[in-house]
Amino acid sequence: MKQILHIFAKDCRHFWPEILISLALVGALVRIYPSTWLSNSGNYAVAGGGFLPGMLDAGFFAALLTVLVPVSWWLLIVRVIHAEALVGDRQFWITRPYEWKKLVGAKALFLVVFLYVPLLTGQCLLLLRAGFHPLSFVPGLLFNVLLVTAVIVLPLLAITTVTATFARVTMTLLTALVCFIGYVVISLYLWDNATIPYRDHVSLPLTFCFCGVVVVLQYASRRVWVSRLVLAALSILLVLTGMNVSESADMRRDYPRASAGQEAPVQLALLRDAPHPATAYLNRSKQVQVSIPLQVSGVAEGYALLSSQVKVSADAANGSHWNSAWQGLNNQYYLPGTSESWINFQMSRAFFDQVRTAPVTLHFTVALTRVQAGNVRSIPLPMQDFSVPDFGICSPHADVFRSRFLGVACRFALHQPKLTYIRARWMDNPCSASQPGLETGVQGDAWIGSLDSSPADFAIAPVWSPSIALSNGAKMEGKPESRYLCPGTPVTFTQYNPVGRTQYDFTIPDFRFPSYQPVSGVGVAVR
Amino acid sequence: MNDMIRTENLSKRFRSTSALNEATLAVPEGAIYALVGANGAGKTTLIKLLMNIFHPTSGHARVIGIECRHLAGKDFQRIGYVSENQDMPDWMTVEAMLDYLRPFYPLWDGALEQQLVRQFDLPLKRKLKHLSRGMRMKAAFASSLAYRPKLIVLDEPFSGLDPLVRDEIIEGLLDRAPETTIFLSSHDLAEIESFASHVGYLEQGRLLFSEEMSVLSDRFREITITLRAPSPVPKNIPPTWLQVEAGDAVIRFVDSNFHGQATTRELAEIFPSAGDISIEPIPLRSIFLALAKTGRMALRKTDEGKAEA
Repeated sequence: MKQILHIFAKDCRHFWPEILISLALVGALVRIYPSTWLSNSGNYAVAGGGFLPGMLDAGFFAALLTVLVPVSWWLLIVRVIHAEALVGDRQFWITRPYEWKKLVGAKALFLVVFLYVPLLTGQCLLLLRAGFHPLSFVPGLLFNVLLVTAVIVLPLLAITTVTATFARVTMTLLTALVCFIGYVVISLYLWDNATIPYRDHVSLPLTFCFCGVVVVLQYASRRVWVSRLVLAALSILLVLTGMNVSESADMRRDYPRASAGQEAPVQLALLRDAPHPATAYLNRSKQVQVSIPLQVSGVAEGYALLSSQVKVSADAANGSHWNSAWQGLNNQYYLPGTSESWINFQMSRAFFDQVRTAPVTLHFTVALTRVQAGNVRSIPLPMQDFSVPDFGICSPHADVFRSRFLGVACRFALHQPKLTYIRARWMDNPCSASQPGLETGVQGDAWIGSLDSSPADFAIAPVWSPSIALSNGAKMEGKPESRYLCPGTPVTFTQYNPVGRTQYDFTIPDFRFPSYQPVSGVGVAVR
Repeated sequence: MNDMIRTENLSKRFRSTSALNEATLAVPEGAIYALVGANGAGKTTLIKLLMNIFHPTSGHARVIGIECRHLAGKDFQRIGYVSENQDMPDWMTVEAMLDYLRPFYPLWDGALEQQLVRQFDLPLKRKLKHLSRGMRMKAAFASSLAYRPKLIVLDEPFSGLDPLVRDEIIEGLLDRAPETTIFLSSHDLAEIESFASHVGYLEQGRLLFSEEMSVLSDRFREITITLRAPSPVPKNIPPTWLQVEAGDAVIRFVDSNFHGQATTRELAEIFPSAGDISIEPIPLRSIFLALAKTGRMALRKTDEGKAEA
């Protein structure tokens, strides 16, 4: 322990400027980050920052700080590890009586004291400022520390232990970044079924284990090339994971087909004579984006369905056939009262051009998650913050003069809330002093949250304040004009819990594709 | 007497380049062993293998009784290592470096540290990065001698130093000599000749010889034979005769296996018409030159033989 403290004290003396920078950035984050939820609720006074309307006050500095804090950690980690560099044959320390376990202990202590403790302290302060008691979120805070370790700290440590200089670490990180962007671009253009390695259950444990092995291997034996090979193997495994080579098997496992005789949770069919007919846009050189209006029925009371992926196959009269891989659907929700919806998918331009003048039969397989309504909370909209149990802390979203409410803003501790359906009624006219009636105005609704049940999502700042866009927030007849929520309007929060997942098939026979619209630049249709 | 260092067929390859080829040597306790060789001969590689900075491709080495591959941590409490090209903690002052290193060594001798600081005239308050090369080396020496290591390993310690600093360091080193074993490398014969007790010679990664200095000096003689009449060099000369030169009636060579009377008798047999035989001891520098030249020729022949094969 004496040696650990001795090396730690030396590093503290040497790297005080880097430590100060890192602490100052965490301090600034704690000071400025609350502006993200204060501005959402219409409180434009940045804590201590005065009145800064526009983009800068609400999110810019906070977003910048959530990037700068990890950058300062990068500086801290590289400097402290390279103080006893593991690559090279001229280092002063390698012929001195350093014990590698104690050296690792000293470096770990440094990171705990100057990275994890400030992070946790900052997160607790942010939770307090957001109205949450940190002690209620200890598992989530610790889980977030684990995520920060797997996503930022361990990969940085591993790269730093196999490089000799700051410049080489930077070059390695830039190369990794370029490769990652290249992989994403290639996967988007070449493989429709590719996914970016993100919150899956394989990438993070893989990264954690491989990077941990590299760090231990380097400190124990300084086998630089073996360690570099381990990191290269990790990169290859992550790419393979992202390519989802066994995607069909994964989908079959995660979304089993309903057994024979089992009633389908929903009925989907082509909505004929729809006010807005099917559309097709040429959005990439090889792909056509097709949107088809659907008629929805059969969703049982007390349940809802979430469709997140779709697979399409098409058969033309001339015998041509086309199959898609699983494609993302941007989460479509079907409620018992839902009668209309859309289904969107990408189709090969070559096939589209070949069959667009002839009728085709479209077969859809939709991956559905069935969710059941749980807790329902109906709260009359107060003038200030209000807590929604098992959900978060919400506040009316006021305009800049706080003269009327334009919606509801909520904030959540450590992760998004459980999947929740929010309803409220918009008013076209100024609010009167009397309580608004339950059936007056126009209903606005929104889905928020996720089915993920992990105790925390990866984040530097622990307070999530996603925008909640209640539908019908503006009058579209004539001159567009915002509607507003009146104080006392009941806002209903319905939580949904997953009860099952399945694949649902439906067919649209004799479908004729519309002519596609070319799209320029970043996806704006040219009509 | 125990060997503080012992290597057996120690080899190191860097991809296709052989930096050290089956070096076998022993450094007895208390010796001052000088590893000599030209630049690039493999001296630094050998030392870095001994210090477990490099891992050997084949062969074995034991340092203070420990297999060099396992040398780590507390083992270095008994070893002092100073290299001409070692990265130092430049941001520290001399005093801070000594303060930092002191707790690593249970046997650190504060009084000796003070003595070394005085002896080397070290500026305690100055940062290492602001020191001259000589001062940096002296600081490194002080930090490696103050804990009275059993073995001191020095890689080209005097390279590029002015004579005054070099003498100061040698003096400091010799003060420690009775209680320690010193293993140092150098490409300059003159600087080690005065104090080395053992010597090894590396040539292109091969250790040509390794032995005690006095034995080496005793077995090398320059022999000049004056013949009564001009005569060619006999064909049956022993392989231990190096740099054989023949004039009209004079033959001169270096005998690398001189054994007093036995050698005299052998000379009389080979040169029955010899008028005068002069046998002179030769300086270390001449011994090395003779060995180096002969060694290079032998290596060339070996390489040519391999190429032909």
